[in-house]
Amino acid sequence: MTQVTDDIIIRTVARILMPFIQLYALYVIMHGHHSPGGGFQGGVILGASFILYLITHGLEEAKLRMSEVKAGLFSSFGLLIYSGIGLLCLILGSNYLDYGELSTILKVIPAQARSLGILGVEIGVGISVMAVMFSIFFDISTGGVLPEDDEGEREGR
Amino acid sequence: MSSFFLYLGLGLFSLVLLCLYRGIFGPGVLNRIAAISAIGTKTLVILLLMGFIYQRIDMFIDISMVYALLNFIGTITAAKYLEIKGEV
Repeated sequence: MTQVTDDIIIRTVARILMPFIQLYALYVIMHGHHSPGGGFQGGVILGASFILYLITHGLEEAKLRMSEVKAGLFSSFGLLIYSGIGLLCLILGSNYLDYGELSTILKVIPAQARSLGILGVEIGVGISVMAVMFSIFFDISTGGVLPEDDEGEREGR
Repeated sequence: MSSFFLYLGLGLFSLVLLCLYRGIFGPGVLNRIAAISAIGTKTLVILLLMGFIYQRIDMFIDISMVYALLNFIGTITAAKYLEIKGEV
């Protein structure tokens, strides 16, 4: 799964298709409360675009775009957005993830504050799911051992 | 008009069964990959027909696009695995 093959048709198709996949994933995340979809589904589509890049362009080129460290940082960052919005509601004197209290900060009516709060949480979930999907596929395709991971190979893993 | 879409969907469903036969009993892995890909494409069209029947085509078109995308990526992954593995 990690070898690079010089297949120009697959590479070109993937390169043309990737921006549309990512745009569609952003649509699914943003439009989740009007149509099927939401944070998780959009994150899966966003992760599928990176997995397509890894399959077609090989592991070395994919690591330049999205490395294992970056995937871990992104997953933690998405979780930070989710729990940060939840804790912000808690600090403002309401329940966890009760977005109505955000209207005092955002200077909008409570109904619109709820809509914006749900959107923020879904963006966080989308980023986190994208990073975790890519991280799982990355680990499977390398077999758990990275090429520069000398200690792992010395132990014979 | 709704019954037209219903019968069209049933016809496609019978074609899915034919593809399923090829996917289960078909000789070799390549036949199976092609059969699964064809089943995915037919399922996409059946989803759109269901959207027409339920009068909610704007909901079903999102699902069908995701289905087409994941079908494409799945076929490419299987083909890539076979290319590296080198045996059918």
